[in-house]
Amino acid sequence: MRLVANAPGQRSPSARTLERQRLMFWLGPPLLWFFVFMIVPYGVLVYYALGSVDYLTFTPGVSGENFLKVATQDPYATVIMRSAKIGLLTALCSSVVAYPLAFYMAFHVSSARARATLYILVMLPWWASYLVKAYAWKTILGTKGILNETLLALGLIDVPMTFFLYNQFSMVLTLTYIFTPFAVLSIYAQLERVPQNVLEAARDMGASDGEIFRKIILPISVPGLLAGGVITFSLGFGDFIAAALVGGSDSVMIASIVINLMGVAYDWPLGSAIGLVIIGLAAALLSAANYLEHKTQVRL
Amino acid sequence: MTEAITLEDLTKRYGGATVVDAVNLSIPDGAFVSFLGASGSGKTTTLRLIAGLEQADGGRIRFRGQDITDVPPSHRDMRMMFQDYALLPNLSVAENIAFGLKLKRTRARFSGRVEALVDEYLRMVHLDGYHTRKPHELSGGQRQRVALARALITDPAIVLFDEPLGALDANLRHAMQYELKRLHGEFGKTFVYVTHDQEEAMAMSDLIAVMKDGRILQVSSPEDLYFRPNCRYVAEFVGAGNTLLDGRIQSLNGASVRMDMGDGIALISKSSTHGLARGQHVGIHVRSENLELVADPPSLSDTENTLPVRIDEQVFLGGRTEYHVSLTQSPGTQLTVSVQGGQSGRFADGDLAHVRVDPGDLRILTQ
Repeated sequence: MRLVANAPGQRSPSARTLERQRLMFWLGPPLLWFFVFMIVPYGVLVYYALGSVDYLTFTPGVSGENFLKVATQDPYATVIMRSAKIGLLTALCSSVVAYPLAFYMAFHVSSARARATLYILVMLPWWASYLVKAYAWKTILGTKGILNETLLALGLIDVPMTFFLYNQFSMVLTLTYIFTPFAVLSIYAQLERVPQNVLEAARDMGASDGEIFRKIILPISVPGLLAGGVITFSLGFGDFIAAALVGGSDSVMIASIVINLMGVAYDWPLGSAIGLVIIGLAAALLSAANYLEHKTQVRL
Repeated sequence: MTEAITLEDLTKRYGGATVVDAVNLSIPDGAFVSFLGASGSGKTTTLRLIAGLEQADGGRIRFRGQDITDVPPSHRDMRMMFQDYALLPNLSVAENIAFGLKLKRTRARFSGRVEALVDEYLRMVHLDGYHTRKPHELSGGQRQRVALARALITDPAIVLFDEPLGALDANLRHAMQYELKRLHGEFGKTFVYVTHDQEEAMAMSDLIAVMKDGRILQVSSPEDLYFRPNCRYVAEFVGAGNTLLDGRIQSLNGASVRMDMGDGIALISKSSTHGLARGQHVGIHVRSENLELVADPPSLSDTENTLPVRIDEQVFLGGRTEYHVSLTQSPGTQLTVSVQGGQSGRFADGDLAHVRVDPGDLRILTQ
């Protein structure tokens, strides 16, 4: 700051200019980034969503017709709701699968090294391609898949079961498998904050393991569950790869519909409108989750 | 008096290190007993063994004669007050205090009285109206009082304290020491306290056990510990103004021992001659406040335990003045003399004077 030589209240114009320059220097790059990657794309999206298309020709306009279509015309609203259901189930299953592992890592692994190893093992599948992992489930759940062949060989079934694959069950299973690491890490990050001496104090006062879990550990881990839930929900909600590989006619996702509208039907206005609706829903969900995370966060 | 806690050859090892090494101790019922030691002395581990938070590798722990070595902490009639208070962060002050009253194990005993008890104990620790506050909204001193109320409310026979005042500033610490001592008198419970702060231990305890390297060196009243340490370590660890000299026993004569300090200096101590032998090398310990600084020896004949010194430096400490002096016959030997009251300026640096010590205040240490 070069304000030294100036008397109070008599800052010279040069100092003010200098300050403005400094401000631009620090704020410029992030503002530019924000403009190019956020404002412009959203602007384009809004521009298309408000227009209309006729025989592959786009006409700009200001009509809410596309949004009305999303709300009223089949199958858009239904598919959005279904995608939300798949996302919700993915979030629930991931949390249920992730919690015991995160709990084990936080409270039963005492050496830092073992903990780091587990941490890496949890993340390891994430280094493999998403496609490969989704495809792997196809080879497990298919009519000639590992599961059916095993059951046949054991004589438990006579004909291959078809309900393992190409439905919402296989979708949720695959998505849960793929996104669980995110849930593990968010829950673990929260459980790690539980101070050891607090657990000892509770034990000293006569609390049973169940009481310690219900009254202390679970309440403290709520924000981690919420954070993990939001991540896995969002990822499941917007998924289209698992839908294409292991999904069936009952599990068409909204992202797949947008892809078709944009790439096949060339109905960019409707695709953009759906995109904006989804973004709006996601923003509402994220702020709600954010609010709840803050509300439930236990300050230590 | 019956014994609240008896430790018999209590031992705890971590890896290869023996942290608590065959400790034996009797804690009288209703007493305020402190474990005093530097960090790593095993005092906290001993406390945690008593609480049941650690499993002993050897020895027994008895509670009023009954073996509780393998009893889990929840079934021991004691509560621990933790170093960082360990308040449950997700619960309010009232819920924290009531926690131990509402558990499956304790519910029946306190049913219908929880609210009244919480109010009573909050009032007792001067936290009226803090019911709904969360721990993070409290100051260190307030948290501490919540922890105290939480430890006392279930009416345990023994309350264990793991350096609970360590994180407080000096004024608050003194206030809390007074408060703890008052509560101890009021409740008549056995308090077992761990601290590295000797003044704190002195201020509150009936009995102090000084620990080093997993062993108890001395168990005695604060006064005995201060004026009659049984070894060099205790003598130096306890109190600030210590003088520890090396000498050799010249002669034993009834209840008095004459020691040769080298450089032609001799000192006489009136203490037990038990276990002492002529020619033995011993440590001689005296508290700085038991040394007297005089300009001239009272009379030429009365030169017993009177040593000529030169004043090196004086430090005014408010209520007292510390003189750092060295023996004129042996300039390498330095003593610290603590003089009460505003007598600063009686001597100037470089002055020659005499240091006198009563033979009863000189303590011979063989270890």
